[in-house]
Amino acid sequence: MFIFGSIFAGGDSVPQGIPIAVLNRSNSDVAKRIVSTLDTMKAFQVVDSMRDDLGKVVPFDTNSIKEYVRKGKATAGIVFPVDAYTDTSVALDLKFYYDPKNEIEMQTVDGLVEQAVFSHFPSIIAQSGFQQARKFLGTDSGQAFNRGIASLVGKYFKIDTNVFLNPDRWVTARSDSDTARASSNFMNNIVRIDKEQVVGEKLKNQWATRSIGGWALTFLLFALTASSSSLFDERKSGVMLRILTSPVSRVHILWSKYLFNMSLAIIQLLFMFVVGWLMFQVDIFSNFLNLMLIILSASIACTSFGMLLAALSKTRQQANGLGTLLILTMSAIGGAWFPTFLMPSAIQFFSKLTFVYWAMDGFLQVLWRGVGTMDILPHIGILLGIGAVINVISVWQFKRGDIFS
Amino acid sequence: MIAVQQVTKKFPSVVALDNVTLEIKEREFFGLLGPNGAGKTTLMSLIVGYLNADEGTISIDGKAVSQDNLKIKGEIGFVPQSLALYDELSALDNLEMFGRLHPGVESKVLHERIRERLHAVGLYERRKDKVKSFSGGMKRRLNMIASMLHDPNIMLFDEPTVGVDPQSRNAIFDFLESLNHQGKTIVYTTHYMEEAERLCNRIAIIDHGNIIALGTTDELLDKLPYDETVVIVKNPSTLEQQNTFSEFGILLEEDDHFELKPKNGFTLSKFFTRIEEKGLKYQWIELHRPTLEALFLQLTGRRLRD
Repeated sequence: MFIFGSIFAGGDSVPQGIPIAVLNRSNSDVAKRIVSTLDTMKAFQVVDSMRDDLGKVVPFDTNSIKEYVRKGKATAGIVFPVDAYTDTSVALDLKFYYDPKNEIEMQTVDGLVEQAVFSHFPSIIAQSGFQQARKFLGTDSGQAFNRGIASLVGKYFKIDTNVFLNPDRWVTARSDSDTARASSNFMNNIVRIDKEQVVGEKLKNQWATRSIGGWALTFLLFALTASSSSLFDERKSGVMLRILTSPVSRVHILWSKYLFNMSLAIIQLLFMFVVGWLMFQVDIFSNFLNLMLIILSASIACTSFGMLLAALSKTRQQANGLGTLLILTMSAIGGAWFPTFLMPSAIQFFSKLTFVYWAMDGFLQVLWRGVGTMDILPHIGILLGIGAVINVISVWQFKRGDIFS
Repeated sequence: MIAVQQVTKKFPSVVALDNVTLEIKEREFFGLLGPNGAGKTTLMSLIVGYLNADEGTISIDGKAVSQDNLKIKGEIGFVPQSLALYDELSALDNLEMFGRLHPGVESKVLHERIRERLHAVGLYERRKDKVKSFSGGMKRRLNMIASMLHDPNIMLFDEPTVGVDPQSRNAIFDFLESLNHQGKTIVYTTHYMEEAERLCNRIAIIDHGNIIALGTTDELLDKLPYDETVVIVKNPSTLEQQNTFSEFGILLEEDDHFELKPKNGFTLSKFFTRIEEKGLKYQWIELHRPTLEALFLQLTGRRLRD
C-alpha cells in the first residue's frame, strides 16, 4: 500500500504527456481550435511530424500518421480530412486511429479527445449562426436577434449564453461545466468520429496479450530471489565450504548459479507464455523468434537482479525482504501492473531506468505489435546493459561480502 | 608432506593463528588437539585452501596451497565439521553431485567408488533415501565419504565425531584407521584427548592460535613433571579430604572420581602416609598413566573442555 501510495500520489490528478499524433488537412477554424485545445491540454503531447528514414523531420500524411500509431510512437492519431468541416457542412468528420496497448490509457485518451472536440463545437456552430444573423439583419438588430436566440438556447439546453456571446470564452469553455455536458449531448449526432484500431485488432485475446508479460515478470523475479538465496542455505549447512575445498573457485560458483538461474528464468517465462497460449489464446508463435530474444534478454536482466540481492544481503530473510520491496516497487513503476502514464512525471522518468519497463515494453512490442528484430534491438541492448551493470555491482559486492567465508 | 611455515591468520576481532609452523609427514595420522576456538579449524581451512594466510606459506609436496590453486585442492579430501549435505536429496544424489566437483574422476569410476564407499560405511541399503531421514551418525558417515570420492591421498577431518553416539564413533575410528593403513595421510582435529591418543601418531596441541606442544603421545607426556596421575574414588570420606589431596598437587573433580596431578616433589610414600593418617582406604586410590588432558592443564592452567 505504501509503495503504490508513494508512486501514484504526489503527482497531478490527470495524466500527463500522452503522445498523440495530429494531422490537420482542413482549413476550418473548428479543426484549428480543436488542435489548439489538444495542444494546451497537459494530458497530451501533440505531435504533428515525424522523422523519415533519413532523419529529416516531415509532417504526417494520412499513411504515415497511421504507421506512427501502429509503431507505438503515439497512443492515438487524429486526422482532420480536407472536408472535415466546410461552410456547408452539417457535421464535423474526423478520423481517430488508436492503439489500445493499454486499456486504461486508451479509455483516458478517448475520453479526453472527445471532451476537447465536444467542448468547442457547440460554441463555434452557434457563433457561426450569430454571425450570419448580423450579416443579414445589421449590427443592432442582429445583436438583439442573437441575444434572443441565445436566451432560448440557454433556456432549453441549460447553456451559459455568455459563452456564445463572448468570443474570448470560447476556447476556455470547460467540459466539466453544464455547458459542455449539454453541448456534448446536443452534438452527438453532428460530430462524427470514425475510430479505427490500428494495432492488435486481429488478436484473439487482447487483454491477455497485453497483461501476460507483466505477470510473468513479477512471478519470475520472486522465483529468482528464492533461487539466488540458496547461497545462504549452502553457506549455513557447510555445503559452500565443501564445494570451495573442491577444485572449484568462487567464480565457478557464481557462474554456475547464474547459468542455473538464467535457465530457470527462460523456462519459467516460456512456460508462462505457453500457458497464455493454451488458456487465453495468446499468439506466441507468429513472432516466436523475437519473443525468445526478449525472453532471453529479460532473463539475463532478472537473473542479475537476483544475484545482486544475494550479494547485498547477509541472510536469506534479508534477501527475501529486500527482494519483495524492490520487486513490488520495480513492477509498479515499471508498468507491470498499471500503466505508467498514470504516474507523476518524475516516477515515469524512473520507470524507464528499470529493466521491468523495458522487458514489459519488449513483450508488448513483440506480442501486441508484432514488430521485427530491428525494432526490439534497443530493448535487447538496454536489458543486456542493465544486466551487465548489475552483474559488475554484484561481483564487486560478493568480493566484499562474507557469503564465501 | 604438508609444510606449514610461520603462518598467521587474523580475523577482525581475533588472531586465529599466530606464526604457526609444523610439518605433517606422508602416511601420518596427525592430530590437532585443542579446545574450541583454539585455531584448529582455521588451520584446516588454510591447509585445504579455503582461506588464504595473511602471513607465511603452506605447501603440499612443495606446491603452494591457496584459494586459487584448484589443482592442489583436487588432491585433498576435507571432511567439514558441519554436515555439509543437501537434506532434500538422497544419499546417492549427494554423492554424485559432490563427486562431479572433481573433473578428473570418470563417471564409471565415480559410480563404482560411490557403491564401494556406501558399503564401507553401511549406508548402501539406504542410498536412495533422503538425507533428512538419516540419523546423526548416518549423516556423519555420509559426510565423510562425500569428501573422498576422488580418492585423495591426504584427508583432513574436522571434528568428525561431534554429536555421534559411541557405537558410531568407534565405527568412524575403525574406518579412519583403515584409511591410514591404506596409505592415506590423515589430519584429524578434535578437542577429545582420548580420540587423539587412540588414533594419532603425532599430535600438535594448539591453544589461542599457537602450537604449544608437538610430538608423539609419549613425547608429549614426557613433558609432564610426573609419571602417574592419582585417581581417587569419590565418596563421602574422600569428599571431606579434598584439601588434604590438594596439598599434593592440582585436584580435578570428575563425575565419579578425583584426579590428582602431582606437583614437583611429590612422592607416593608421603601421599600414602597422609592417606593412612586420614583413615582413608588404599583401595580408593589408583595410579594411572597421565593423559594429554593433564599436559594441557600443565601447559595452560586450563582444561581442554573449559
